[in-house]
Amino acid sequence: MSILLKTVWAGLALVACLTAQQPDFDKVDMQVQHVKGGVYMMTGAGGNTAVQVGNDGVLIVDTQFAPLAQKLMTEIRKLNRGPVLFIVNTHFHPDHVGGNAALAQMIGAARGPGRSDGDAPLKIVANENVLNRLTQKVPNQPPFPDAGLPVDEYFTPFKDLHMNGEAVFLYHEPKAHTDGDSVVLFRGSDVVVTGDIFTPGGYPFLDVEHGGTVQGEIAALDHILELTVPAKTQEGGTYVIPGHGRICDEADVVEFRDMVVIIRDRIQDMVKRDMTLDQIKAARPTRDYDTEYMGPGSFVKADQFVEAIYKSLTQKSK
Amino acid sequence: MKPLLLIFLISGAAAVRAQSAREAAPIDLTGNWVSIVTEDWRWRMTTPLKGDAASIPYKPEARKVIDAWDPAKDDAAGLQCKAYGAPAVMRIPGRLRISWQDESTLKIELDQGRQTRLFHFGAKPFQMPAASWQGYSAARWEAPASPQGNGLPVGISPRFGAHSRSLEVSTTDLREGYLRRNGVPYSDKATVTEYYDLFQEPGGDTWFTVTTVVTDPVYLYTPFVTTTDFRKEPDGSIFSPAPCSTR
Amino acid sequence: MIRRGGFFASLAAIAMSLTPAHAQVDFSGAWAPLFHEDLPERIPGPELGDYMGIPLNDAARLRADSYDADRISVVSEYQCRPHGGDYSMRGLSNMRIDAVIDPVTQQLVAWHTRMGFQEMERTIWLDDRQHPGPLAPHTWQGFSTARWDGNMMNVYTTHLKENYMRRNGLPRSDRATFTEHWIRHGNYLTVVTVITDPVFLTEPLERSQSWVLDPGQRMGRDICEYNQEVPKPRPDYVPSHMPDTNPFLKEVAEWYGLASGVLRGGAETMYPEYRQKIGKPEQPKEKCDRYCNCGAADNPTCLVAPRSSR
Repeated sequence: MSILLKTVWAGLALVACLTAQQPDFDKVDMQVQHVKGGVYMMTGAGGNTAVQVGNDGVLIVDTQFAPLAQKLMTEIRKLNRGPVLFIVNTHFHPDHVGGNAALAQMIGAARGPGRSDGDAPLKIVANENVLNRLTQKVPNQPPFPDAGLPVDEYFTPFKDLHMNGEAVFLYHEPKAHTDGDSVVLFRGSDVVVTGDIFTPGGYPFLDVEHGGTVQGEIAALDHILELTVPAKTQEGGTYVIPGHGRICDEADVVEFRDMVVIIRDRIQDMVKRDMTLDQIKAARPTRDYDTEYMGPGSFVKADQFVEAIYKSLTQKSK
Repeated sequence: MKPLLLIFLISGAAAVRAQSAREAAPIDLTGNWVSIVTEDWRWRMTTPLKGDAASIPYKPEARKVIDAWDPAKDDAAGLQCKAYGAPAVMRIPGRLRISWQDESTLKIELDQGRQTRLFHFGAKPFQMPAASWQGYSAARWEAPASPQGNGLPVGISPRFGAHSRSLEVSTTDLREGYLRRNGVPYSDKATVTEYYDLFQEPGGDTWFTVTTVVTDPVYLYTPFVTTTDFRKEPDGSIFSPAPCSTR
Repeated sequence: MIRRGGFFASLAAIAMSLTPAHAQVDFSGAWAPLFHEDLPERIPGPELGDYMGIPLNDAARLRADSYDADRISVVSEYQCRPHGGDYSMRGLSNMRIDAVIDPVTQQLVAWHTRMGFQEMERTIWLDDRQHPGPLAPHTWQGFSTARWDGNMMNVYTTHLKENYMRRNGLPRSDRATFTEHWIRHGNYLTVVTVITDPVFLTEPLERSQSWVLDPGQRMGRDICEYNQEVPKPRPDYVPSHMPDTNPFLKEVAEWYGLASGVLRGGAETMYPEYRQKIGKPEQPKEKCDRYCNCGAADNPTCLVAPRSSR
């Protein structure tokens, strides 16, 4: 099978997998938690959304699924009635970009013909690989709506902007969860948004078919640890909004990073001993982590995680 | 008015006096219990090595006795139960049956060493029995603390702790014995104070913890305090009496 | 005059007999931990491979077997990590307990504890407040609420960070909760801790520990700063042992003349009948030569080195 066809089928499988996770959206409650400073976390279905509010307006990181856009906007408007100036996407998966177009249209509709030209246009920002993935044609799948495309993409190692009185950094984490991951640092609020690089309570989804690697995942987690500074007794300080799950801090990221490294090391050791993928799976190198990381909210199974690591390691060694 | 008031007070006081220790019990310790050994494991579940007295606050005088331990000698002298005295017996992994022998005596039967402890409520006997492994245990339902030690309120503010749920037991008249099976000694001047506390866990299990304070002016430089935990069992079907053993 | 005095005395007697039974005890003060149980484990530290009496499952066993103690220095973020709320009650340092009183009602609303080690602080709420939701951050000490039952305070704690059940790598997950039962008898405080961990335990782990009131104690600061002290062989290095390769797991059996099987722990090792299953030690030993006098008058805190380390 050609590489192109494999990628296409992998994309279809990914979409099928992620859409299979979708709940009944009518029953989803949007939970809002204040994190720190001007940053809030909103959790409904799909990935976590981070929202920064202040005198300039609103910056949103990740938009969950399209049917939740109205619920998301309702909660945002309880916090701030100013203009939504930025949507930032941490990566291209549908549970993080699905609401882009619907939100953009809501914001555009709110602007209406009577609004003055002084309003700043909405910018949807992401690493350029996110734009590339979203504009790829996938057979039997409708194209991603133009209104939601992150056309304000960046291709440099990082991008910064200033919003609501604080510096906001977007760091590209190459070949981590995907090839287009961004980690967002709200420097004044002291909050980091990680996307699916960090998913406490669930194994990380290393999307190897779309550029994810275990080495990049570990490097990204290490970078997150460089950005976080704990307060007294190694807790609090910089708070971390993960791709899925509860609000965390540096200590939680350390446990997660250590898990990835230790399992990677075990599989690496087995690869060096010329074990096949099936043999490695049978050895169950994750068995002391499975109960912890295959919780009710997680969807990456142990074998998937093992296989992704194996592919990362063996692709590198080829 | 006054005569009626006095009649009320007298009849109330009479009603209080009539309660036996069993009737007055704020907690129910009766039933079948198993010790759960999660602490001091190798000192309780196995016979520790000769000379191992870790955790025990012993005086230098005790070290000679510790290093001289000879289980064969104890066997020959019929002293197999030396480690099963009141200061130590609750630490031996085993099962208990607790029941009321009568209205003022709580009985604890221990399967290990086939020992029986009797907790006597009320006045001590005029003539105390001879020293024994279990000694004489005087029990009471613990009263709230008071600066004057007599339970009467002091000062004009209301007081805390009027509702204690603990059993307090003081044991004296002990034969000299061992705090551990490997010969860490207590003398015949040792006394024991214990507090029994009952609690329920959300999962439904019932436990009690006994805090044991052993005071020994001969061998301990400070009171030796341990806490031992027991979980209730549905019945006594696993109660397995076994004789004392020096090992 | 005598008749009036007698009348008032009767009133006082009635008042005494009718005083409601307030179910509270004063825990406030400075407390010193008593190490009359498990002193070598709690002060010098538990030895590798010692899982005796812990109702752990296979996952916990492999985690602990893989544990490399270098991790807490090489992974610099662990250097200043304090104990969890459950483990901190095992002692290691002195404790101060302060009552938190509502200034308007003068009612006790919480106890605040502070440990000398790593300045661990904890609040136990007595005002019937709700625990945070599932998305709230977890902390080392967790979130604790309590209720009185007579003279016993029963505490329930959730929202714990991942930590350990023993300091030799035995893990405790962030899904664990624990209950406590606090009782004061005179100048002794007994705290019973029951940990329920659906990830690593097959049964609740129950332990109890005692403290003695120590008004003369002085608790200073314990400020920790972490630093990279040991160069890492590579940036993404986390010390651990590959499964089935840890060479240190049987040392405890050799040191104390035990059958190595007992070290593996598991729920059955908590029950008296397990004594019938304990096999003979692979390396029998007669006399103690390690931590033998821990707690004695000449070594009360067990900080003197063992008589022989191997």
